[in-house]
Amino acid sequence: MQSKTSFSKYFNATLLRRNLTRFWPLWGMASFAGSLFPLALLVQFLRDEDFYLWNRPLDFTEMYYYAAAYAVPIVSLLYAILCAMLVWSYLYNSRSVGLMHTLPIRREGLFFTNFLSGMAMMLIPYVIVGALCVLVSVVGGCFDAKGLGVTILAVLGLSFFYFATATAAAFITGNTFALPAVYFLLHFLAVMLDWLVCTFSQGFIFGLSGSYSGVVEWLSPTVYLENHLRVSSTYEEVFQRGELTGTGYYTDVLTSVELQNLWLVGVYALAGAALLVIAWLLYRRRRSESAGDVVAVGWMKPVFRYGVTGLSALLGGLLLYELFWRSFQEGRYYEVLPLLVCMLVAGAIGYYGASMLLAKSLRVFRGSWRGLALTAAGCAVVCAVLHFDVLGVADRVPEVSRVEKMTLYTADNNYTFYPGEDEALMERVRAVHQAIAADRDYIMGITGQEDWRSQLIIGDASFHVTYYLSGGLKVNRKYYLPISRQRLAQEGTYDNLLDSLVNSEEMKARRIHLNDARFAPTGGSVYVERRNAGYDLSSRECAALQAAVAKDAAAGAWGQYAWLESDWGGEYALSLELSFAYTGEDGNPRRNWISITLRPGMDNTISCLKELGFITEADLVTNSQLYPEDTWEMEEKFAQEMAAVESADVIGGADGPTTVYVTG
Amino acid sequence: MIEVKNVVKRFDGFTALDGASLSVPTGSVYGLVGPNGAGKSTIIRHLTGIYRQDEGTVAIGGEDVWENAGLKARVAAIPDDWYYFLQSTVRDMMRFYKGFYPRFSVERYEKLKEVFNIDEKRTIRRLSKGMQKQVAFWLALSCMPDYLILDEPVDGLDPVMRRQVWSLVMGDVAERGTTVLVSSHNLRELEDVCDHVGIMDRGKVLLERSLAQLQDNMVKMQVVFRDGQEVPADLPVLHVSRVGRIHTLIMRMNAQEAAARLAVYDPMLVDAVPLTLEEIFIYELGGADYAVKDIVL
Repeated sequence: MQSKTSFSKYFNATLLRRNLTRFWPLWGMASFAGSLFPLALLVQFLRDEDFYLWNRPLDFTEMYYYAAAYAVPIVSLLYAILCAMLVWSYLYNSRSVGLMHTLPIRREGLFFTNFLSGMAMMLIPYVIVGALCVLVSVVGGCFDAKGLGVTILAVLGLSFFYFATATAAAFITGNTFALPAVYFLLHFLAVMLDWLVCTFSQGFIFGLSGSYSGVVEWLSPTVYLENHLRVSSTYEEVFQRGELTGTGYYTDVLTSVELQNLWLVGVYALAGAALLVIAWLLYRRRRSESAGDVVAVGWMKPVFRYGVTGLSALLGGLLLYELFWRSFQEGRYYEVLPLLVCMLVAGAIGYYGASMLLAKSLRVFRGSWRGLALTAAGCAVVCAVLHFDVLGVADRVPEVSRVEKMTLYTADNNYTFYPGEDEALMERVRAVHQAIAADRDYIMGITGQEDWRSQLIIGDASFHVTYYLSGGLKVNRKYYLPISRQRLAQEGTYDNLLDSLVNSEEMKARRIHLNDARFAPTGGSVYVERRNAGYDLSSRECAALQAAVAKDAAAGAWGQYAWLESDWGGEYALSLELSFAYTGEDGNPRRNWISITLRPGMDNTISCLKELGFITEADLVTNSQLYPEDTWEMEEKFAQEMAAVESADVIGGADGPTTVYVTG
Repeated sequence: MIEVKNVVKRFDGFTALDGASLSVPTGSVYGLVGPNGAGKSTIIRHLTGIYRQDEGTVAIGGEDVWENAGLKARVAAIPDDWYYFLQSTVRDMMRFYKGFYPRFSVERYEKLKEVFNIDEKRTIRRLSKGMQKQVAFWLALSCMPDYLILDEPVDGLDPVMRRQVWSLVMGDVAERGTTVLVSSHNLRELEDVCDHVGIMDRGKVLLERSLAQLQDNMVKMQVVFRDGQEVPADLPVLHVSRVGRIHTLIMRMNAQEAAARLAVYDPMLVDAVPLTLEEIFIYELGGADYAVKDIVL
């Protein structure tokens, strides 16, 4: 039976006052540090009438937005945990939890009053700094109500979200020192696991590439906000005339500024509200005797124990492997047994570490064999699944119908394909990818040898393809491929398919962005090796050279990519790079560089370079002429390659001939 | 009335309270005694609303204690390790208590200031342990509680201040009908103030009686048998000791019954001596393997 005595259920003003007066050094110091910036700005306004922000409200707003987008998430992340460590500190000490839970106030009252105290501590510095900023903007004639309002919304939302997450973390643990660890783990676990899983998987699975996928980045709010909360500013070029000299000049003037993706703050604030509800539910069930425990929630203890074990097995296993076995590893991929041993050692360390933290004792060894057996089984399963590619990741080549965009890097060039425009090319890229996946054993057999790149019959190529699938998923594969003259001539091999693709007319046109309005010539460089002289190109020169290269391509004089080292040497000792501007997927300007190999026969390009004054006839020497000693080595290599090809045995099979090269 | 019924409390598999029950009549002073680790502080933490029992009921004045703010407003507690805010003065803590306890009396606080004679502007952290305990009493009594729950309350207090504190508590009991539950190892002191006693061991309350009942249930007899005769084997004694010809027998019965049983052996001398609470405590727990062991060094 509950007493009917009326007493404030949700709030106690004394506790709020007490919290604010007890913890004033924290919010006082934060307010002082934050106030330095607007005060410094005020000094600038007062002493310098030509200060660039005078009477420029939009510029001032842009400054607000930059602070809200890039500084506030980081500052709030760090400051929220300090506030939480203070207001929830009573939970972590048996004496203080005794006092607070003896007081005539229900847990709702303690929870909401302490939460409000923490929020007040979060917001007081922002309010002080904000008020000073308003003062400064009024003094400088650059007050902008809209910018201020948007910034206040962002600060409120972010402060609430970060303090709510810190509060949720506070109710998971019962230990002051564990609180920041749990908090930062919650905030960065997703990106850490993403990195760990990708790094681990790409060490096992053929072709898998990328140490970070970003798929779960939204679960790491600070990282996500830093990447997605952006300031978008629009500048216009206006003509102005100098007051003293009367000379005219153009200057960029800010015409609009927006804080993009502000809705994300709202979404995270809602998530913060959900976390707050979870925190409250945890508090209702919290046992006061959990003060001092690393994990205060009973059902989370096994999650903690095996979570730490798993993380330790993966992270520590990789570390031990890198320290003790990497130098013995043959090829690109992990050797499963040594890695398994490393994982077991690291997993056992993690298991006992977590058990000691949970038990608050070093005596955790008795009866631990079950946990260790589970750890060992987990490690073995993970290694087996990845080593044998049980999920068939290596063979997965997405259908074009599922692809929203495809990017390809091969033969020293980048390409981007879109369904609807480039379906035929995308199918050809898929065909190369499928052929590579089918030849996995052959590729791994050669690339597993230590010095495969220096072998006689083989060139090497990169094939890096990324499929952007509908739904935001991404399939990223990167292969280092051995290329042989024999297989280049053999239909159906990836060598042959890749050669046909790269040296097709469509790809050549792609390579120089011919008739592609998305890529605007911006510049580039020319380097003449004979004279050791380099020149930068203007956008006009770049466009002229692009047109010349296109003419040579049409005449068949440019664009044939040479895969084998033994085919090199005949090109001119000149470097030509053209750069193009385009708009990236995120709306930001990007730059693309293409490298043009100049060979005899590229008359249009050579003439253009001469007309532009970058080269003379004397500069037209080939690498073979300039570096004859390298050429001798190349010729020697070619002779040996031919001898090797001649001595190759061919074994017939149901699926056609299989070539065995005898190189020794 | 404070009532605890069949309360079970486990900590990580260890059973701290194993079906403990006790009953404190309204307006009484109840002494809870027991060896270290018996569960006294655990039961007190249930009564003050810090712990929630796994099984059983914990009620004060017929109301469940757990999350009952209205009830807790009428209960003041002094734990053995009283907590105060690190930088706070006595006056700061007074304001804090005043903000929570609706019946907090500033008038009483001011009156008690003269009793305790502690500078209320001093940081509590800088006071001695005994003075900190005095502050705890000062604030608890200013809350004007109907129920006062004390865990080792006079540890660290000098004899004069102990007497002073008990006098204040007994004054409240007499004037306001305050119900007091006090846990202590100082049995001599409890004997002077308690009218009811409960003895705990291993998470259970072994027995609870009024002090008079308890003293009537066990007796210490001093006997001198004729011709140096030893204590007859058929006598139901809890403990025997001998100094010269005088045998001291502890018997679980009242004095008249013991004298009658001994009269059969025609002793030269029979005398009943009242047991102290400490002796009752020791001999009651002796049945639960709590006998004082001789240690040979």
